[in-house]
Amino acid sequence: MPNETLAQTSNTLFNIAFVTYIVAMVAYFFRLAFTRVSVAGVTSSTVTGTRIGLVGTALAVAGLALHLVSFVARGVAADRMPWGNMYEYSSGMALLVVAVGLVVVQRRFGYGHLMGFLLAAAVLMMTSGLLLFAEAGPLVPALNSYWIRIHTSSMMVASSIFIVGFAATALYLVKDTGERRVAASGGDSYTGSTVGAARLTPVEPDARPEGYEADGALAVSVASPLAQREVLSPVLFPLVPGVIAALFTLLVWRAPVAAIIAGSVAALLGTAAWYAVPYLPPAAKLDNLAYRTIAFAFPIWTFGVMTGAIWAEETWGRYWGWDPKETGSFFTWVLYAAYLHARSTHGWRGRKAAWVAVVAFFALMITFYVVNLFIVGLHSYAGPGLV
Amino acid sequence: MTETLPPRERVDPPAPRGPRLPDIPGPVETLGLAWRRLRKMSTALVLLFALALASVVATFVPQEPVIARTVELWRAGTAGPGAAWARVLDALSFFDVFGSWWFLAITAALFTSLTGCLFPRYRAFARVVRRPPAPGRGLDRQAHHEVLRTALPPTAALDAAETVLGRYRRRRVEAVDGVAQIAAERGHWREGGSLVFHTAFYLLLVGIVIGHSFGFTGQINVAEGSDFADTTVVYDQAKPGRFWDAGDHRGFVVRLDDFDVSYHPDFTPKDFVSTVTILEDGQEVRTTQVRVNHPLVYRGMKIFQARFGMAPRVVVRPAGGGDALFDDRVLLTQDGPFWVGRAKVSAGNPSPGDGRDPVPQIALDLALVPDAAIVDGELRINSPEPRNPRLAASLYAGQDLGLGRPEPISSLEFPQSDLVGQAMLTPGGSADLANGLLTVEFPELDQWSGFQVSHAPGRRVLLVAGMLVLVGLIPSLYSYRRRLWVEARRDGERTDVVLAGVALQRQTAFADEFAEVRDTLEAALAGPAPLRHAPAVPTPQKETRR
Repeated sequence: MPNETLAQTSNTLFNIAFVTYIVAMVAYFFRLAFTRVSVAGVTSSTVTGTRIGLVGTALAVAGLALHLVSFVARGVAADRMPWGNMYEYSSGMALLVVAVGLVVVQRRFGYGHLMGFLLAAAVLMMTSGLLLFAEAGPLVPALNSYWIRIHTSSMMVASSIFIVGFAATALYLVKDTGERRVAASGGDSYTGSTVGAARLTPVEPDARPEGYEADGALAVSVASPLAQREVLSPVLFPLVPGVIAALFTLLVWRAPVAAIIAGSVAALLGTAAWYAVPYLPPAAKLDNLAYRTIAFAFPIWTFGVMTGAIWAEETWGRYWGWDPKETGSFFTWVLYAAYLHARSTHGWRGRKAAWVAVVAFFALMITFYVVNLFIVGLHSYAGPGLV
Repeated sequence: MTETLPPRERVDPPAPRGPRLPDIPGPVETLGLAWRRLRKMSTALVLLFALALASVVATFVPQEPVIARTVELWRAGTAGPGAAWARVLDALSFFDVFGSWWFLAITAALFTSLTGCLFPRYRAFARVVRRPPAPGRGLDRQAHHEVLRTALPPTAALDAAETVLGRYRRRRVEAVDGVAQIAAERGHWREGGSLVFHTAFYLLLVGIVIGHSFGFTGQINVAEGSDFADTTVVYDQAKPGRFWDAGDHRGFVVRLDDFDVSYHPDFTPKDFVSTVTILEDGQEVRTTQVRVNHPLVYRGMKIFQARFGMAPRVVVRPAGGGDALFDDRVLLTQDGPFWVGRAKVSAGNPSPGDGRDPVPQIALDLALVPDAAIVDGELRINSPEPRNPRLAASLYAGQDLGLGRPEPISSLEFPQSDLVGQAMLTPGGSADLANGLLTVEFPELDQWSGFQVSHAPGRRVLLVAGMLVLVGLIPSLYSYRRRLWVEARRDGERTDVVLAGVALQRQTAFADEFAEVRDTLEAALAGPAPLRHAPAVPTPQKETRR
């Protein structure tokens, strides 16, 4: 029997964590504004910036702790693993995104400037969770298996790491565009290198304008990183994510108000990305972060798909039936596999591979939202039947 | 798949003398060209995208093998984009993507491409693995290098280094200028793991083909107290594999002794359990429970709990007694809070001969409410459990109700003019219908349970394949090829130990590892034989870590 008090506590803590994350996100973005970047690309925060950054980190850690308590309480209240419906799953993903962000991205890689974006991702996850809220309750018999601990948790862990990977990929594409354009304006051609590393190679001597000396690369490195912002359109950056998020929300929830809010939030994030370009780690490092996170999540996703097949065999008597959710997890897997392959293929490394990762992430989102909510299948949340 | 690509274009041979013919490749050249093209990684990538795209289509367009009913609605135009579009989708096999020729073609092309990539890689890997670590030259030019000084003689220093490099494949070599050197390398599992991962897909394919060829899946619904035998005829929706034949059925009998369902407060089922007894030649062999997530395995057949429902026993007999026209339990399926179903009472006979009147077709349309009450003129459902069941029976009789047609009785439209009587029955009750000609009785209410019975060979093969996929995948992403060399050169009283290394992948991880090896080596070189007058040893310059 669900424990009402505990379930209520869990909901309250969820809301507090939600607000805490938003404040932490704002603090992280403020820290960006108080950052100075030297010609050599070294970033440093002003005293105020450092203080705000510390506040942001403290809030993120506190929010994470509250969120964790909320998550566990939900499980205790329902007397089962707390990932039995889309609300709980979204909450778990957000929790893991913040945890991975703090531990891996900020602490291990030292890319604190990315945390604002990861917190934004977590907040978006939690918002979608609130829209899909369900009371703590028991599960249908088909879900009542120990496989839910293994299969669903692997999918949740893998998805959240894929989200971090997507943030890194998107920021890589932004930073790389900035680096490229600055390089191009400096008279150099830019060739994609092994892992999308920003490598500047001077153009062929005879292609240079008259009187141009052979120190083009130097000219580029002397150009301020702030120039990377100037070469990017301040209109497109809020516009594109805003429109995508608004359309997606309109499509999934058919709620115009929510679509406007989601669109504005995405537009703000786009502006933040545009503003943050000079302070972001070099494109090559972002690409490396994206690769490492996706390569970490991919085996987990593979394991999740496999355990899902084993569970399906036990519940439905077949290991694979091309149920929409199975198909969704399959094409997500194929696209991430394509990303990993693309990254080791000539002519695909760097930006092209990153776009594959972006497509793969959209596939993941389709698998989670669209397939769950709109397409009737055995996993469906849209019609009657099993979750 | 291959990283080193074969050259796409060859250097043109010197122009041939004599009349010039247009450059039309012959059949052999074309095949060779196609093969080289197929082996390319970019081709494999395109094929992977095609596979993903096909699956996306299959997600958004209903698939006939999964939900045939929705596909029917799409074809009829009552759902989906309309009948015209449905015809286009049909022509493209979009209603059965995974059974279409083009999906098969993509899969076949992917496996061919995989084969084309893997074989050269097997050969190369076998060669590389057998080859001992190569001696290093110009160690000071390697990406990482470090000079340590020790009091140990060169041989002892190299011995110490060998212990440090315990986890590396290594050998002692004599470098070019006659200096003793250890060449070590590690990380063959990167390529090995990748080969295992990719090879496992063949095994996966084998497992799937075995399952599809020799497997069987059938559905069966059975009422409490009834039984069914594992034979060809008994199953609804039997899906036998290509090489499954009637003789492969085990022939045992499964009797449903009891069925139990419990509900959550929100009326959703909590758990449902069938108690079944297996009989062989009339002898009871085993009595056990089958529940969701806990199938019963018997003689290679797996029996899964799939569905359940209400099964009221209904008797129809001529009024005033006589032999029953119909006496059976009708399996009702859920429709909201109701359980509905139909029964064929009499198939009728339009021309019985002997000048008798034609016998009409008779059918019963049933709806059952397990536990409900009419409160203020509205139906209120008290519970999904049959505490107070009410059976609404509608009797239809007519010359042509459509009972002779091959379609299922549930999809027939009975004309309202053929409705000859309606009654609300409680268990044990009866009613005279059709102007008092027929009596409909409802003696008792049972339940039915639906099972899926399947034989799925190749599951173990699939499990092994799945494990190999993971076992191969992890090292192929995390392991990395790296080489280390240790050289010891006598320099007066002391020995200069040069440590150098290079990694083919994961440079940052290697930088950490190199630093670790360096520290351990330094400790090992200082360890066993204490340095005489140690302070004189200059601290080696430490490379800045990146």
